[in-house]
Amino acid sequence: MELLKDMMKALKKDKVGMTGLGIFVFFIVIAILSPIISPYDPMELNFDQDGNLKRLEPPSREHLFGTTRMGRDVFSQMIIGSRIALIVGVLSALCVVFIGTNIGLISGYFGGKIDNFIMRIVDIIYGIPFLPFALILVAILGPGIKNIILAIVLITWRNTARVIRSQVLTIKSKTFIEASRISGASDFRIIYKHIAPNVIPLSMVYVSLSMGSAIMTEASLSFLGYGDPTLPSWGKVLYSCYSSQAMFIAWWWMIPPGIAIILLVLSGFLMSRTFEEIANPRLKER
Amino acid sequence: MQGILKYVIRRLLQMLLTLFVLITILFFMFRVIPGDPVSMYIEAGLGQEAQQVLLKQYGLDKPLFQQYIIYIKAVFKGDFGISFQYGKPAIQVIGERFWNTLILMITSLSIAFLLGIVGGAILAWKRGTVLESVGIIGALILRCAPVFWTGMIFLSIFAFKFKIFPLGGMNTPGTYFDFQYQKFLSLDFLKHLTLPALTASLYSVATPLLVMRTSMLEVIKEDFIELARAKGLKEWKILFKHAMRNALLPVITVFAVQAGLAIGGIVLVETVFRWPGMGREIVLAVAARDYPVAQTAFFLIGTMTVLFNIIADVLYAYLDPRVTWQ
Amino acid sequence: MDNHNTVLEIKNLKIYYNISEGCVKAVDNVSLQLCRGDVLGLVGESGCGKTTLIKSLLKILPSNAYINGGTANYKGEDIFKMDNSRIQKLRWNEISIISQSAMNALDPVYRVGDQIVEAITEHEKVKKEKAYKRAEKLFDLVGVDRKRLKDYPHQYSGGMKQRAVIAMALALNPEIILADEPTTALDVVVQAQILQRINKLLENYHGSMIMVTHDISVIAQTCNKVAVMYGGKILEFGDKRRIVTSPYHPYTLGLKNAFPSITGEKKSLISIPGNPPDLLVPPHGCIFAPRCPFVKEICKNKSPLPEKVEEGYVSCHRLEEVDKLRYYAEQEKTWLGTSI
Repeated sequence: MELLKDMMKALKKDKVGMTGLGIFVFFIVIAILSPIISPYDPMELNFDQDGNLKRLEPPSREHLFGTTRMGRDVFSQMIIGSRIALIVGVLSALCVVFIGTNIGLISGYFGGKIDNFIMRIVDIIYGIPFLPFALILVAILGPGIKNIILAIVLITWRNTARVIRSQVLTIKSKTFIEASRISGASDFRIIYKHIAPNVIPLSMVYVSLSMGSAIMTEASLSFLGYGDPTLPSWGKVLYSCYSSQAMFIAWWWMIPPGIAIILLVLSGFLMSRTFEEIANPRLKER
Repeated sequence: MQGILKYVIRRLLQMLLTLFVLITILFFMFRVIPGDPVSMYIEAGLGQEAQQVLLKQYGLDKPLFQQYIIYIKAVFKGDFGISFQYGKPAIQVIGERFWNTLILMITSLSIAFLLGIVGGAILAWKRGTVLESVGIIGALILRCAPVFWTGMIFLSIFAFKFKIFPLGGMNTPGTYFDFQYQKFLSLDFLKHLTLPALTASLYSVATPLLVMRTSMLEVIKEDFIELARAKGLKEWKILFKHAMRNALLPVITVFAVQAGLAIGGIVLVETVFRWPGMGREIVLAVAARDYPVAQTAFFLIGTMTVLFNIIADVLYAYLDPRVTWQ
Repeated sequence: MDNHNTVLEIKNLKIYYNISEGCVKAVDNVSLQLCRGDVLGLVGESGCGKTTLIKSLLKILPSNAYINGGTANYKGEDIFKMDNSRIQKLRWNEISIISQSAMNALDPVYRVGDQIVEAITEHEKVKKEKAYKRAEKLFDLVGVDRKRLKDYPHQYSGGMKQRAVIAMALALNPEIILADEPTTALDVVVQAQILQRINKLLENYHGSMIMVTHDISVIAQTCNKVAVMYGGKILEFGDKRRIVTSPYHPYTLGLKNAFPSITGEKKSLISIPGNPPDLLVPPHGCIFAPRCPFVKEICKNKSPLPEKVEEGYVSCHRLEEVDKLRYYAEQEKTWLGTSI
């Protein structure tokens, strides 16, 4: 818990990290309040007084970000989309880093045959091109949030595992670990009571980075047509925009989702820098 | 040198193992698809006999495991099956697309490398100025922007609005060349290449740029830079000849890693610009359940990824003598 | 001082550093003169501002340093008023430097010979081959095998690197060579060798040198004039012989004690107690007052101005009592705390 306090303190001091956190919190608030803030149902078709479908209307007071080719309100889609982005992002990030950290801890601590075997698997997984694989998996299992998260989690833990393992190797050689072992502590205890707390900052780096990459992946898959058909994620908005060939005229439809993705991914990246400084105090001056 | 050679050979052997695992995963994944792929290509209403003939032709009548053995044997011979969509051997379909992707990748990675190095060096040199802040923010935005979105914007502005570049594809329809390679040297091709290559390069540029900047900031503090200035060398000479040269080391390894990741971006870029490469083909093939083509594309893309990874690891170990050859 | 012979005249120079905690007065009102052929020893503890002073002459100070007043006239031209192109021509051609850490002074990715050639071709319209021949001759001068020009810096030993750097500094026959602690980073045996080398070179060299060091014995061997620097100020300036045998300033007297006697008498070494001043918040009055065993009330309140003594000058309030001070300075108990 002390570690948590230290991390919060460090985050507060760092302007860069705070900006990231600020953006992140902003989106969380929007996501939570989305049903209330969203002026329309994102899938709702909007008609004007004469009963005509309000297709491709530029931004106006009624529709802050204009409408799509099907007459849907872009602003509402953006707001609801934040929910999906955050759910996919945070869930994936937590799973990925949880798996990756544990594998890294085990592999690094036990060394020898276990380490070799695990790292062999990691090497093979590194050979799998991520997006094509995710694409195929989601195509087979069916487009849906669960499958997208599954595809992300199956592969991206590889990065975290490697890096955490590296750090564990360094920590393992430190004397306090020797002391614990001599005093008879079990492996499990040593790993989780002594080593793990020291790798948490590094794990946090990857939580923030993975969040961004997960959101990017979801957007990419949606853009390729494999997004969840029931949920209006930001990537899906861009997919509709592109495939309806309206992007040349309807800039209001094309720009906001991109900017939203940039901001949320950026927030993850900025927070990761702060965590990196905690994990690696030599990086203070940049 | 001996150590490196052994290491490379070991990695190449590992690569074969990886590829083998890849093919296996693929094979079984596709065969488990709900929705019989065959039915897409066999018209309803065809008699049972005709269906059986077609099934036999595609080898889909045998039990799964036997299909696998046949498949592996075929792959060793370079036979990846016949495409359901095109009726041609899958390897031929992908073979045609392979060079298009390769050229796009090499062009975009080269641009990304150059931009990253020069940009990072300049940002470090101009520390504390507005230019530096703008540059860093720009790099961050590029890093966090979806590559297909950037592509869409470029298309809208430079192709649609200003009509400088074409709206996609690789050639203007109707152009004809005597030899394949001439196609790549024509102005028409270059015009079509520009936007996709630019988009793809911007996707890969941010990390090398930021790493170069950090590396440069370290190098700038070194004594030999101070001495270079004391020798009366012009500023640009100190920057390019001495500072950059020394700062390049960590960037090269980062870049090799980045190249491996760039492949995902290529899939998206080719889709947005309708560039006829392996990336776009895999998307189309998956949608059409044309699994011979999808498998082949995946396999080749996987091979490229693994090769880039090996290059990255070897470079890193070669340039940094502290790494042990495990 | 013969004005026609004055190569460098520094007047009331103030160089400050901007740091987050405030402003560090690294060089505070320094005045010096360098005549042609002089070898000026600039002696003082680390952090007293010697390196800052030197580097300012080539304008290679870090970006947070700034000149807060004063001039440095090189042959009549104020260095600090020179524009970029003039400064670039001045560098190495007219003033060169042998830096403190030769370990890192050479670019690791280029051959040593190429780096010397680079210095030459930057300033003179000479073909690379000719420049290379000159580099060979320079290496002969400093006693390094010509073949080593083709090697990379990491293949050189410490002493060799130092000699290479000296060779490079001589390449364009500059008017002034600034030597910043040229032997500090080397072991004692190599130190002696390098010093010998420098002395030999100085015999045939017609320019001037400013030798920065904290080691008074180095001064004794190579210099003809000495400036004693402390806390950013020059406390005493004059002929080497006079300063080494009969200095005026308490600090110089203390320095003399801290090193083995030149005349060979056996004496126990006495060090000056205390620490150098914090240049962020320098003391009122005389800058040496907090550590001076001869401190009086006036010293703590009023900063002494430089006064002419014999052929040089000294900044001290107790100049008239110098004989008494010299006597007591030789005794160990003087430096143990009680003021006299």
